Order: sequence, then structure tokens, then C-alpha cells
Amino acid sequence: MQSIQLAGEEVVLCGDHAMVWSARRTLLVADAHFGKAAAFRARGMPVPAGTTANNLARLDALIDAHEVERVVFLGDMFHARESHAPVTLAALRAWRERRHDLQLLLVEGNHDANAGAPPADLRIELVGEPYIEGPFAFCHHPKPFMDRYVLAGHLHPAYRLSGRRESLRLPCFWLGEQVGVLPAFGDFTGTSTIAPLAGDRIYAVADGRVIAMPGERIAPPI
Amino acid sequence: MRKPRPQRGLPAALAATDHLGKQLDRKRRQESREKKLLKAEQGGLDFYAPPPTAANEPDSAPVIGPPVSIPGWFAARNWQPFSFQREVWAAMAAGKSGLLHASTGSGKTYAVWLGALAALYPNLLDAPLAEAETVKPLTILWITPMRALAADTVRALQAPLPHLGLDLRVAARTGDTAAAEKTKMNTKPPAAMVTTPESLTLLLTRADAKEQFRHVRCVIVDEWHELMGSKRGVQTQLALARLAHWQPNIMVWGLSATLGNLETARDALLGAQATEAVMVQGVEAKNIVIDTLIPKTMERFPWGGHIGIKLLPEVVEEIDKNNTTLVFTNVRSQAEIWYQRLLEARPDWAGIIALHHGSLDREIRDWVELGLKEGRLKAVVSTSSLDLGVDFLPVERVLQIGSPKGVARLLQRAGRSGHAPGRVSRATVVPTNALELIEAVAARQAAGLRHIESRKSPEKPLDVLVQHLVSMALGGGFVPDELFAEVKGAYAYRALTRAEFDWALGFVQNGGALSAYPDYHRVAPDEHGMYRVPSQMIARRHRMSVGTITADSMMHVAWLTGGRLGSIEEGFIARLKQGDAFTFGGRVLELIRVQDMTAYVKKAKRKTGIVPQWNGSRMSFSSELAESTLDVMGQMHAGHFDEPETRAVRPLIELQEKWSALPGPDNLVMEAIASREGHHLFVYPFAGRMVHIGLASLLGWRAARDQPGTFSISMNDYGFELFSAQAFDWKKLIREGLLSEKDLLKDVLDSLNASELAQRRFREIARVSGLVFQGFPGAPKSTRQVQASSSLFYEVFRKHDRGNLLLSQAEREALEQELEIGRLSETLKRMRSRKLILTKPPRFTPFSFPLMVERLREAVSTESMSSMVERLLGELEQAADLE
Repeated sequence: MQSIQLAGEEVVLCGDHAMVWSARRTLLVADAHFGKAAAFRARGMPVPAGTTANNLARLDALIDAHEVERVVFLGDMFHARESHAPVTLAALRAWRERRHDLQLLLVEGNHDANAGAPPADLRIELVGEPYIEGPFAFCHHPKPFMDRYVLAGHLHPAYRLSGRRESLRLPCFWLGEQVGVLPAFGDFTGTSTIAPLAGDRIYAVADGRVIAMPGERIAPPI
Repeated sequence: MRKPRPQRGLPAALAATDHLGKQLDRKRRQESREKKLLKAEQGGLDFYAPPPTAANEPDSAPVIGPPVSIPGWFAARNWQPFSFQREVWAAMAAGKSGLLHASTGSGKTYAVWLGALAALYPNLLDAPLAEAETVKPLTILWITPMRALAADTVRALQAPLPHLGLDLRVAARTGDTAAAEKTKMNTKPPAAMVTTPESLTLLLTRADAKEQFRHVRCVIVDEWHELMGSKRGVQTQLALARLAHWQPNIMVWGLSATLGNLETARDALLGAQATEAVMVQGVEAKNIVIDTLIPKTMERFPWGGHIGIKLLPEVVEEIDKNNTTLVFTNVRSQAEIWYQRLLEARPDWAGIIALHHGSLDREIRDWVELGLKEGRLKAVVSTSSLDLGVDFLPVERVLQIGSPKGVARLLQRAGRSGHAPGRVSRATVVPTNALELIEAVAARQAAGLRHIESRKSPEKPLDVLVQHLVSMALGGGFVPDELFAEVKGAYAYRALTRAEFDWALGFVQNGGALSAYPDYHRVAPDEHGMYRVPSQMIARRHRMSVGTITADSMMHVAWLTGGRLGSIEEGFIARLKQGDAFTFGGRVLELIRVQDMTAYVKKAKRKTGIVPQWNGSRMSFSSELAESTLDVMGQMHAGHFDEPETRAVRPLIELQEKWSALPGPDNLVMEAIASREGHHLFVYPFAGRMVHIGLASLLGWRAARDQPGTFSISMNDYGFELFSAQAFDWKKLIREGLLSEKDLLKDVLDSLNASELAQRRFREIARVSGLVFQGFPGAPKSTRQVQASSSLFYEVFRKHDRGNLLLSQAEREALEQELEIGRLSETLKRMRSRKLILTKPPRFTPFSFPLMVERLREAVSTESMSSMVERLLGELEQAADLE
């Protein structure tokens, strides 16, 4: 966990791939990809059930630890059309019933557009990007928006930390001058290596710890 | 004025011949046309490689007269059949299966090929055919491990046919065959088909496979020694079991190099049929010569290192003396370095010396192979990529840079030379450090005693079984009871239990009874209980991934201006920055950008670049060679310096004995040395570097149970070093069970990052069992919705399906193959049985010095990920301070 200043606000970077905007009691997660395993199974790829339950348990832990009142999904909450599978939705509905006071906001991502709108009884407010609030613009795609600081997902960013002999790829928060990208939250999601610009702030996640990467060491992009 | 530009896509040496460039351009245009065709036709797994060039056609054969008998054809070419050839012909004419083995290549092809024809027409062994005969249906299958060999094989098989009066069409069907050609072959198959294990399996996924293979009477598996140790060999075994299920009388023959366990090789190939089979020994090269390029002065010769460029002048001299020389290296980086240094030493050799290794583009390799056959090349620097294949007749000389690592490999490489009648096959070891002189003697003695390495068939790999189940569901469907019996007929699965089979079946059917995989099916029974693949998409995806048994994440290397150079591991490119220079294909390249799995490069202005270290390219030191090396040291300890090599290293050996002790067959030498840096312990079990990694971590971990990560470790094939800041009482630790086998497995797993090793093994398993899917060529992005990396699958299974047997397989493979746990435990036992000599030398000895140097290059860490992050950050800070 690491508390930092972003666009004049205090935010907390969590080791479980989420961000907390303390002043607004809001938890931000990107790329949850609910039902990805179900979509795989429907297409003949054996992925065991259990990822949805695990994702929800992690959300619960974050919600309780930071006492938030709202969760904002920065796009790609659902993976594909087949993700609205009975097992996945049943788990989500049960969770929603336990968390009935929680506000849920989904900024539509590219996967959500394919998957279709979430069922109404989950009571998720679906909005297009950008969704402006305070100094921030909540988006899915990491593109600058006017004078706001964009918080986005989509990239599943990972940072490559290279030493003399070996190198590690670590999921990371990638905070640029105008745009900040969150690591993917979902349990069964991959990462892609980023090529940051000089001056960007990178916070990598290793073993649940959030560790700042030294800015001046960041390699120029290829 | 601009300088003339180098020919695109070719190493400097190749670009020198102008007509070649044009030829390749023409081929490239043809390729791109065929590639488009291929996409349109969507015909299974098709990696593209160019068709053989016109220049590849066989030389003018004798004029075709009236039909002759098989011995008559030999006589017409002034050949005398070897007795082993007659033996094979007779056995095949009698319908027997078997294995033919020999240490060199000569005559094996015509033994089994003419034998297969004799099986069809037994009279051919005595007299010409009364009238010309036509063979129509697919009757003979010829399986080769490399599709690149298929074209050459087809030509060799075709040669005798017109003379024998046989109208029998021979054709290749591999991943390289154009889709249109394949479609034609489906309706009109050739009578003899040359194919690879992957393409054969792909044919078996056709719904009408049984009909297609109905007339097959004989299957020949070439280079079986190369296949048998791998999962491709298991795939071959399963395909043979299927053919034998349809045709119980099918004849199967294998061709193999000499191995230490030929009976096993035969059984693995023939499975249930092995009982009736014969074993035939081909020409044994009694006069294979193994010698050494001995440095003129030993004083300045290095004790350690593995590049060995010190002997460059001698190597140049050897190449100069002969018409054609093959220079074998053990790793690609070494091949790159040697090629460059040879060109620097003799710039006049540009265009007549070449480089050949597995990462170079197919057409570049084809050009090199053709040049060898035609005798146009003076020398080729190569890795094991030239170990296999059709013989290159004009090769006069074989040089082996560095340790041969294994007896069989050295014999096979030697067999590359001296094919002309009356010549001997000869391999000359070029030592890269002083101790390798001893290995050359060891290899010679082991070869003389026929102490040759064995190969093992993998034991019931479930990933291959999972793939096979889907293949069989496609290939006409299956009934579980019958298929279980059939699969057990394959040697690798002779001990498969019904529970394991049922697990694999469950895994493709519905995820299995015990775990939760709702709404998932890859295969499902129809109303008659026949298991089939219910979805076209799954069928398509499966056919695409059959055969991608080995494929690391490779990136293309291409000129910015167009033209491909080859491929390189993604991990290497990822460590480079824009503008960095690296050496590839014999030239120095500058990285411009990376895009769509391609690294775009241009020629670098700099003269030197980083030489990529290809992963997994290290060969392991065979135990046969290790034993023999210890024996040679025993001889030297007893005062025998009878060989030129041992005479040359004598001063070094005497120094070792004076400062410490000489490792030998009856002792275990350990050296404890204190230096300014800290405390070093050197141990010499001679068990190969893989075993030493495990041993070193184990000993380090046991010595300091409460302080993990205290040791840094280095290892080579002879021994290992444990380096620590504090001193340890090793004698006492050994008395207290440092070398004990008690809790061995647990301690090894605790001492190493075993889960990372297992995860690495899982990459291949995920690919073979069809979890990881590379995507259709040119497919829309939507297919990416079912793409996930093997590490994601590994994690999700570990979290949510811990009982998944593919995970256990990964762990087992990591232990058996990465750590060689069996050899490790054997080594421990032997270390305990030998006399322990612990010395305290005044300075680094000839044996410890190479390890000391090695430590600067490699280390094994046992730390957690976050502490590794801290350490890497520390390294970065340090590097920054130095700038």
C-alpha cells in the first residue's frame, strides 16, 4: 500500500491492484474481466471455476479495509458475451445482495461493449467515457482528456525490471503527466509490458507490496 | 555516391554471390503468393518454407534400360550391397519389423527402402520384374524428424524406381507442402509418403483417416534416436499404435544411430509388436578417428572459459588445408563468435564460409546446405542444426569447438566427414580450455569401449495423451475402452492406469468429475457412445495446434527495409534498448524498433555487438563421458601420460596434485579456499552442470538452514562452488549428514525455486495439451478472447484445481528433466562412497579457477520475489553510481 498525491488529491495504491480515492470513499478497479473463465469454458478451453468467487472476495477485502461506499470499474468489467453465464451471474447477484448499499459505476470498456449491458438487477450504473469527477476523468482507454487527470485501464500494464543477470515483469500502476493507468484487477488476466516515458511514475506490485520504481532509471521506449 | 547496398536478408557472406540474391528474391515472391493461397485454403498447420530449388535436382542418373533386380541395380551403379543391407531386405521380404542401427549414415536408407519394395515384390531380390508394376494406394509411410529433410529423402527414394520397373509415386507431405498440393493428395495420395510426426498426426485427425491408411503396409521411421527421447517421439508412438490397431500386420522399421540402449529404442518404436522384431547392425565405423588440436604452447593456454578463440590460427590453418570443413560448436552464441572471428582472420573467405544454426531463416540454411552438397563452401560454422540430415559428401574435415559433451554426439559429428570410399571419419576436438584436452581422451576411450549414451522415452506424458484424445475424436471418433487398450500398446503408455486415462478423458470431456468446469466440453459422446468433437471451432483450433510441440516465444528478426533474417528469443530482444547493437547471423545489427513480434534492424555502424545467449542451448555433459573423464584422471594419477593430450596437460595436472589433489574415480575432492572476498568451497562430483545446480543449492541450503540466500553458487560440468561471507566447518557438516539422501526431494524443492521451474515446464505442457493457442494466421482480434498465457493457466489450476494431473506432470518433469533428480541422488550416493579429500590449497587451482571465473557470470538465487526486486533496484543504483 502506498499513499501518493495525484492531481492534488490523496490516493492509495493497493497491493491488490486497486486504487482508493480517500476523500470520496471510492475504490477504483480496472479490467476485472468477470466471466473470462466462463467464456473460455464455453469455447472449449478448460479453465476451472472459482475465479469469480476469488475476485469478489478480493473486492470484499478491499471494500472493508478502506471503508469505501462506492466501486468504480474503469472498463472491461465483463469479458465477453458468454461471461453472462449463469454461474458467474449467480455469484455476482449473491454478492450484490450482501453489498446492497454499495454504489457501483461502470465506465464502458471495449469488452463491455461486446458483452452487452450488465443485468439490471445488479444495479450497476453504466456510463460512457470520460466520466468527469473532481480533478479526474474516469475512462477505460488511456487517452488524455482536456485539463483533467485521466484514470484508465485497458493496458494491463506490467513493468520490466532488469538487473545485471535476470529480469522480472511486475504488474504496475503507470502514472504519467496527464494519464494514469491501473493494473488489471481480474484474477485470470494477463499483462503487457509498457514502455514508459522519462518522468512517468511507476509503482510495481510484487508479493502484494507496492514498490516505487526509480524514475530516472526508466528506459526510453523502443 | 552511395555505396552498393548489401543484399537484403542475407549475411554478408551470402550476399557476395549475386545470382543467389536474385534467386532468393524470386523465391520470396513465390512464397508470398503461396502464403496468400494458404490463408485462403486454411489447410491445417502450415509453417512456410521455400520449395527445393532447381539446382537441388539429382545429378544425371544412369540411362534407364530394361528392369533390373535390386542387386542388379546395385551392380549397375558399381555398388556392392553390404551384408547388413541383404539382412534387412530378407527380413522385410519375410514381413518382419525391426531396428537398423549404425554409427555412420552410409547405406541405411537403401537398406530399408529397397526392403520395403522387396516386401511388396519379394522376387525383386533375385530377378527383375517380369513386367512393369504400378502401386497406386498409399502403401509406405516414411517418417522423418525434420521437414527440411523431406525433399532430399523423396529424391533418394525415387532414384531406383524407374530402374526396377516400378511405377510408384513418392511425395512429401509436411508443414512445408502447399495447401493446394495437400488437397490434391487427399483425393490422390502418393504410394509412398514422406512426412513428419506432426503431419502424420494431422492426417489422423481427418474423419476418413481409417480409409486413407487402409492399404499402408510398411512404416519407416528415420533418425529414431533423435525422436525417441522427446514428446514428438511419443506422438509417433501413438500414431503407430493407431495404424497397428487398424492393420495388426503392419511392418515398422526404425533407423537409428548407435545408442547405449538399443533394445529400449526398438521396444519404444515397436511397442506391442517388439517381440517378433529383428535388430540389424549397420556398418560400424571401426576407424572413426577422434583427435585433438593441441595448442603449441600450453603455458599461455587458459584454464577456464568456453570460447576458445586462442586456437583461431590453428583452426584457420586446418580449414585452409582442406576443401570443406564443418566447424561444430555447442551453442549458437559460440557459432556466431567463431564465424565472425574467422571472417576477420580471413576476409578473403567472405562468400565461401557460412554460418548455420537453428535461429537462421530456413532459406539461408537451405542455401548453406546446398553449398555444402555442391562443394562450394570452404567451411561452415554450425551448431547441432547440422547434426541431422542427408549426408554432405564433400566434407573432409570435422572440427568440434569445445567439449563434445557426449560420446554419441561426437561420433555422429565425426560421421559427417570421410564419406568417400577409403576415407576415414574423423573429428578433431578444438579445446577451449586446458581441461577439455582430457575430455577428448575420455571421448576416444569411451567410444573404443562402446560406452555410448542411452536415450529414454518419456513416461506417459498426459499432455500428449490429452492432445491425442482430441485428435482421435476428430479422426473418426473413439470408444474409451478400445482407445485405452490401443494407447497402452504404445511403449510410453504401457504403464498407464485406467484412472489416469479417465482423468485425461474427463479433462477433455467436462473437466472431470471432481472439479468444477461448468459448461465446458472439448469432446463429447454421441448417441452411440462414440466420442467426437462437437464444435467446428474447437476442431479447427485443435488442427492448428497439433504439432506445435516445441516452439519457444520467438521473435522474427527482419531488416527495416524488408527481408527476414531469422528468429530470436523474445526475452533477449526485450532486454535491448533502441539503438543497441547485437550480433546475429554473422553480422552486427542495430535494433530500430519492435512491432508485431518482429524486431526491425539495420546494419550497425559499430563493429561489435552483444551476442545473444539462446536459452536452453546448453547441452548437458553425459554421464558416460563424465565416467570416462574420471577414468582418464585416474590413469594420470597413476602416472600414465600415454596420449598426446594427457602429455600436453601434464604440467597442469601435476600442479593440481601439488596444490590440492586430482579428482578421480575413487575419491571426492573438495577444496576450501579463503580469499579476500570470502570463503570458497569447490566440489568436484563430475555429474554435469544441471545436477551441480541442484547439488550446490541443496548443500548450501542444508549448510545454512537458518540463513537462506547466504551462498552464491557457480557450476560447470566438473563441479561447483559455494561462496559465502562466513566460514563453515565442512568436515563436521558432512559427518552430520550434508550428503545424506534423507529427505532429499523435500530439501531440493525447498532449496530451489521449484515452483518457477515447474511453471517453466508447464509452458510446453500447456501448448501440447491445447490450452495455449497461438491464434489463426490473420485471424480477427476476437479470437484473442480465448488466448491466455501458460502462466495464467498454471496459476488458475493451482488456485482452483490443485488435483489437475497436468500440474503434477509439470512438477515431475521439472524434477526429472531440469534437475535430473535421479542422477542427483545417484551422485550423492557415489560422493558418500568415495574417499573424501578436503584440501586447503594456497591459491586457486587449475580445477577451481574456471568455477571462480564462472561465478561472475551465473548465480542461483533462493530469495522471494520482493527481495529480488529490492536487489535488482540495488543493482540499478550501483550501476548509476558508476556512470
